[in-house]
Amino acid sequence: MERREVSFRIQRYNPQVDRAPFYDNFRIAVEKGITILRALNYIKEHLEPRLTFRSFCQAGICGSCAVRINGVSRLACTTQVWDLLTGGGDEPIRIEPLENLEVIRDLVVDIDPIMEKLKRNQSWVEPAIPEEELGRREHRVSDGEFETINAASDCILCGACYSECSMMGVNRDYISPPVLLKAFRMNNDTRDTLGCRRLREVTADNGLWDCAHCYKCMEHCTKKIPIMDGIHRLREEAFARGMTHTEGARHAQAFFDDIRHIGRLREVTLPLRTKGVLGSLGMVPLAVRMGLKGRRPPLLVKPIPDIERVQEICGRLEANREGEAAGAQHHLPLHPASRSGGVL
Amino acid sequence: MEHRYDIVIVGAGGGGLFAALEAVRANPRVSAAVISKVYPTRSHTSAAQGGVNAALGNKDRDDTVELHVFDTVKGSDYLADQDAVEYLCSQAPSVVRELENLGAPFSRFADGTIAQRPFGGTVKDRCCYCADKTGHTILHTLFEQCLRRGVTFFTEYFLLSLEHADGACQGVITLNMATGAIETFVAPVVILATGGHAKMYWNRSSNAAGNTGDGQAAAFRAGIPLKDMEFIQFHPTGLRKSGLLVTEGARGEGGYLLNRHGERFMARYAPQKMELGPRDLVARSMETEIIEGNGFESDAGSYIELDLRHLGAEAIRKKLPQIRELSMHFEGVDPIEEPIPVRPTAHYSMGGIDADMARTAIRGVYAVGECACISVHGANRLGGNSLLDILVFGKLAGREAALEAPERKAHGITPAAVRRVADEIRSYASHERYERYGIIREEMGKTMGDNVGIYRIEERLRKGVQEIHALRERFRRIRLFDTGTVYNTNLIQILELKNMLDLALCVAVTALERQESRGSHYREDFPRRDDGAWHRHSLCTMGEDGEVKLGRKAVTMGKYPLETRSY
Amino acid sequence: MKYAYFLSCINESMTREADRALNLWKQDLGIELVNLEKGTCCGGSNLDYVSPDHFIIINGRNIALAEQMGLDLVTSCSTCLLTLRRAKQLLDTSSEKRELVNSHLADEGLRYEGTSDVKHLLWVITEDYGLGRLAAKVTAPLSGVRFAPFYGCHILRPSALLGRDDPAAPMSLDRLVEALGGSLVEYGSKNKCCGFHTMLVAEKQSLAMTGNALEDAVRSGAHYIVTPCPLCHTALDAYQDKALAGRSVSGNIPVLHLSQMIGLALGYSQKELGIDRHMIAA
Repeated sequence: MERREVSFRIQRYNPQVDRAPFYDNFRIAVEKGITILRALNYIKEHLEPRLTFRSFCQAGICGSCAVRINGVSRLACTTQVWDLLTGGGDEPIRIEPLENLEVIRDLVVDIDPIMEKLKRNQSWVEPAIPEEELGRREHRVSDGEFETINAASDCILCGACYSECSMMGVNRDYISPPVLLKAFRMNNDTRDTLGCRRLREVTADNGLWDCAHCYKCMEHCTKKIPIMDGIHRLREEAFARGMTHTEGARHAQAFFDDIRHIGRLREVTLPLRTKGVLGSLGMVPLAVRMGLKGRRPPLLVKPIPDIERVQEICGRLEANREGEAAGAQHHLPLHPASRSGGVL
Repeated sequence: MEHRYDIVIVGAGGGGLFAALEAVRANPRVSAAVISKVYPTRSHTSAAQGGVNAALGNKDRDDTVELHVFDTVKGSDYLADQDAVEYLCSQAPSVVRELENLGAPFSRFADGTIAQRPFGGTVKDRCCYCADKTGHTILHTLFEQCLRRGVTFFTEYFLLSLEHADGACQGVITLNMATGAIETFVAPVVILATGGHAKMYWNRSSNAAGNTGDGQAAAFRAGIPLKDMEFIQFHPTGLRKSGLLVTEGARGEGGYLLNRHGERFMARYAPQKMELGPRDLVARSMETEIIEGNGFESDAGSYIELDLRHLGAEAIRKKLPQIRELSMHFEGVDPIEEPIPVRPTAHYSMGGIDADMARTAIRGVYAVGECACISVHGANRLGGNSLLDILVFGKLAGREAALEAPERKAHGITPAAVRRVADEIRSYASHERYERYGIIREEMGKTMGDNVGIYRIEERLRKGVQEIHALRERFRRIRLFDTGTVYNTNLIQILELKNMLDLALCVAVTALERQESRGSHYREDFPRRDDGAWHRHSLCTMGEDGEVKLGRKAVTMGKYPLETRSY
Repeated sequence: MKYAYFLSCINESMTREADRALNLWKQDLGIELVNLEKGTCCGGSNLDYVSPDHFIIINGRNIALAEQMGLDLVTSCSTCLLTLRRAKQLLDTSSEKRELVNSHLADEGLRYEGTSDVKHLLWVITEDYGLGRLAAKVTAPLSGVRFAPFYGCHILRPSALLGRDDPAAPMSLDRLVEALGGSLVEYGSKNKCCGFHTMLVAEKQSLAMTGNALEDAVRSGAHYIVTPCPLCHTALDAYQDKALAGRSVSGNIPVLHLSQMIGLALGYSQKELGIDRHMIAA
């Protein structure tokens, strides 16, 4: 069994005695196959009983032990120490608490904000079945419908995506990836009746349209759930339901309109179409400064050659809206009952 | 700090959450609070992979509640109370459908109904499942519904004691983990749903680190008897290195158990059911193979192979994705390419708080789920019945509690009781103490595994009892090194160890006492079931000196008279 | 080395200098880029949820145009890269989707077969051309110049779709800087988000992201930021003053396009490369 000495640099903070977080260093002998969690347990038992972290199932199922390891949010119980040792170097492995959440002590953070957001955004199924009828019959759900929400229902609320999210990093009020994923899961559950109301909440300020599209949530999801796809499907549902009076929706609509008309983006009017006249006023100073440096988008954009071909394609697609072709990624008619399955 | 509620539920797993939902539904005017030492979705219900049994008849159209009852009674080796089993199985279809109605995802058949598959020890295929994450999806659904109903949670509060006066419940004393403050919850009704205690086997257990039987220990110290503590289920397929569980579903989908000769040895132990015999039988068969030299050897110990390769990559990816991940992460083995190394692991505690249809000896105190012993599982639990147990009895307790609570009043919890608890906690930090948590815990795990394991015999059981006694004695000098008040996990570890030691003593003492083999309790010196002398429940009550006083309780029989159990 | 070239809307308009810089030196490396004249805007990150069908057909068409030329498709914009590669993955893994797309392309005599790869200019240089070969062509090594490489999200994530770099610790652009004789600074923001995509929708928050990356780069002592994505460039350069407003950071930091940095090392002047067109002076 391969063994070697490994250094760990762990962020500590006890609000009772420390003014600010600091790093503590430990060096222990580990054998190949040991996880970060087992290393933490060892350190706590043999070197520093005050080291504080959460853990429960030790099997990657409960989501308790999410921490940042070398700057990346992961589950301590499924991360192999050996995988983190780069070449022959002796770099310490850095362990820090999740980002974007208040530290309670050492590696333990306050996840109540996540629970509160779940509640505010109605992250539950509200069935049509009246109370007295519950338990009599199951809904009939097709395998396709189950598959639509299957991956999303893997979420263990570990908080890794919350910690990685770029928008969470600059806005604590942002709805956050796990809540968006739950909204996707609920809105695509054929048994739920809240759809529209939930989407209204989800598309409010600091919501769905504020996702910066950085893909960090999906990249680091500990259960490999394609979270961004869920966010896209929610945006698609917003369009299908005509909830498009937000800046984010108008922004996307502008791209769509330009492609259909001229095949190119008309950047000069993009802010206007996104934000409206009043909203765009704030951009005028920058636009002027940029214009002075010759850095302005063309006022007139010529359509691409053969734009008629593109317009034909779009025309055909729009005429066929009702009888959607098999290739449609995810078509969401407004009545949940007739919703067909799709992929996340 | 004092809180007052009509109902306090301790534990936020499937049992506690369903109790809370039912309570607020049955009586919207009742005030209820759920206390949990972990965030609700962390609860060990999330690890239940296999499924939940119910005679829906979606697969085997001729399945009936009656057949389910019989399977359960037989599986229990006739120690289950048959009236409770009737209730469990008869409620199963509506409880599973209710969960489905509330949004729990399930795998489906082509006709859109809830899919069912075979599970150990049943004559019909009635285990309802959601891929291999049934417990996880049920737990999340229940939590989501609790958010919907505005259930009040006190998260990361640790149960310190159960308080009562004149035979009636007064509430609980807890530790607010975030602040270190002791907070009391005065309530005339308390539902204990704190989960099982098989973690006392430590490394040879599939349980979460926190399955330390806090509710059982508190009930025991409050004078409530614990029932059938000797019955610990060893799940046949725990991963060799960590004890983590590979669900029975893997065998349900068609996996084989092989010894080092490549033989499907279950043919010799359970010719009809093969790998799908009841768990105690399969676990013992595997252990026997290992003892007789037919197992594989490795640095991490002996093991048997669980071979899934013949199921094909697609089936494994679709139906058993979690197992594949576990196997790759913790054993470094991809079940698509290689068999998984497994061996029996302490998995479930059939025994627990004596709770007749969820009610305990103290008025107003209920117990449900794995922390309770109703008993519906008797000497051996069938796979798929545990999720069912927590749902059915969680719901029952919630409803009864909601109807009972308004009729009762709790006077309060005395300052003396609080002081006692506070003094005890303070005493752990005394410089005169010197025993270390890690060492005592390791020794506890070792002695339980060696002396009170799958195969039991008098001299080893006596040794086990002695060693646990000694460890409890040493615990009196255990030292708390972290004296902080904010989120002190060193303190939590010590409190959990205390609970495990008390319960371990009960397990060892009752195992020594029961001179027969029944279900998961196997005595090499008494290899046969002895209904004449031993067809009864065992009881443990705490004596004045903290010792275990043994007692007995009759088994409620029903339609099914005693019979030899064979598969 | 010949490729079909997907210009991207922004490189045709606001960040024209990036394209001009590329055109200066591509022949020096023997790289021929054939513009996709009939290609349309890829729709950015947005098209697929306004209409999934439009998204997949429009981008399938873009790739099919390259396939018709028998060439791989290269782009200098990371969001175009990601969008095209997403469409490609969907098409390559579903015969149904291919049928849908091809049914709409038939009139034009186009067909999506999956024969063209979609790459970023950075990958062409580091993989196809090779850093060793490039180093040999350098006539004005960037010695003593410290760079803070800013990758931007869409060339890194999701790694399952892009797969060239480890998003947590990308190195390809770093190595390119070194091959050109430049040196690197240690700073944590190289794989962070610049905030461009929500600049119009959530300006304050986006500027916070931009500002964080800029502040990090300035404090690290870099002379330049270099980025392979014109959208990141726009956020970091055009919005730099706004992003750094109110922060206690002294001075600005000029931002170079990937093509400009290579051009410098190959001996072209700042003026030729359009570096004076930036908002932040070099």
